[in-house]
Amino acid sequence: MLTATHLWQPFQEFVFMRRALLGGLVLACSTAPLGVFLILRRMSLIGDAVAHGILPGAALGFWMAGLSLPALTLGGLGAGLSMAGLAAWITRRTGLREDASLAAIYPISLAAGVLILGLAGKRLDLLHVLFGSALAVDGPTLTGMLWVCGISLVAMALIYRPLLLDTLDPLFLRTVSRLGPLAHGVFLTLVVLNLVIGFQAIGALMVVGLMMLPAAASRFWSRRLPILMIIAALLGCISVWLGLLLSFNFSLPSGPAIVLVAGASYLLSVVFGPVHGLLRRPPLLTSQ
Amino acid sequence: MISCQALRWGAPGQPLTPPLTMERPTGSLTAIIGANGSGKTSLLKVLAGLQKPLAGKATVNVPKRGGVSFLPQQQYLDRQFPISLQELVAAGAWGSSHTPAMRRLRLKTVLDDWALDGLEHRPLMALSGGELQRALLARLSLADAPLLLLDEPHAALDEQGQALLWRHLHKWHADGKTAVVVCHDLGAVREHIPHTLLVSHSRCVLGRSVDLIAQQPSAWVA
Repeated sequence: MLTATHLWQPFQEFVFMRRALLGGLVLACSTAPLGVFLILRRMSLIGDAVAHGILPGAALGFWMAGLSLPALTLGGLGAGLSMAGLAAWITRRTGLREDASLAAIYPISLAAGVLILGLAGKRLDLLHVLFGSALAVDGPTLTGMLWVCGISLVAMALIYRPLLLDTLDPLFLRTVSRLGPLAHGVFLTLVVLNLVIGFQAIGALMVVGLMMLPAAASRFWSRRLPILMIIAALLGCISVWLGLLLSFNFSLPSGPAIVLVAGASYLLSVVFGPVHGLLRRPPLLTSQ
Repeated sequence: MISCQALRWGAPGQPLTPPLTMERPTGSLTAIIGANGSGKTSLLKVLAGLQKPLAGKATVNVPKRGGVSFLPQQQYLDRQFPISLQELVAAGAWGSSHTPAMRRLRLKTVLDDWALDGLEHRPLMALSGGELQRALLARLSLADAPLLLLDEPHAALDEQGQALLWRHLHKWHADGKTAVVVCHDLGAVREHIPHTLLVSHSRCVLGRSVDLIAQQPSAWVA
């Protein structure tokens, strides 16, 4: 039977559960607005591509410096940013669509990463990198997550207006301001930064789920951008909390548990959401 | 104000027209007409600095930021975007130095001017094509730039909306703004816009609207 104590007790009792919860909550809050904007920019798949692309950098960092947080973070950041940058450069120079150029580069990164890990002697478990374990969040990782979350939220607040206009109407923004490319660059950097810090906590592939699923689900609950971001953050937080409880009580891997709860919230939103959900009639106010 | 020297534009390696050389003085009001695919929209983008010319030079004598307002065709906006009409229009005040109270007043005024009062809080996806077009025009009014480049501003507007558009265009002209308007409605061009640039694959001609349009096959003129 589920009682209030069941909902809190594991977190009260075990410090690793508290760390996992706190880390997951801040990660959910900082990735939610990023996910919402990725969807609005029609770049939903870039998270997946970057998450794979981070691997060679992290592997290189591991090879050079062992399992150290700064080395893994710097390596992952370098690899993620150069991959996104290279894809954008190829797109600009050749006109290849951005999703195609990302899709072409991330298998290269992934393969390179696996190769480097192989050379390094398999001491870093590939499964751990890809799927992670929220229960292994240690003190320094948690501090790193708090910093990344703080930086992300402040930076998003600062670039909110130019990013909004650059997403909706880039031509208009270019005629009134030169902040468009800057906002775009800062935004992509934040995406990579969050994925890198997230991959150490819940795994490279799982953090993409935490970024995109609540954002996609929120679209069924509101038509207003600030509210979309708040709903996405709330859904993310609930997923982290319930996911950790499930993982604790039924001995499930924590990353997949969190992402599956987020996935359930997405499917429920698709069915029951008031904005174009399956069970709702189209509202009276539709276009034309 | 606008000066083009042997200007060529279009996709790389495929200029759309012969080289264009023209001068348009400050305060002029000019239409661009031509068949689909003759490069009207591209020319506007080149003038707005949003696209690079293939050859020659296009210079516009305005401040680098906020000197040009470009009205895009509306299919290029994402109608699903989760903001309200008012937020879209308010973006026109980007970088203005007015006080918040003054900004609200100006916003209210342009919303009234374009008959958008009552629609302020509608999401974009709940607007009709004409309402969205008036919202884009209201944003342009708010930006108050000296050079206006309008791509099919009459598209999607009903009779009243078109009357509103021409009234504003005459007012901007009287205020000394320079405007270039891409327009398919030759009857309206003849009536409202003194000069016209005709672009086609074989030639670019600038002349008085009445003369140029008189040479067009009569079936084209509404």
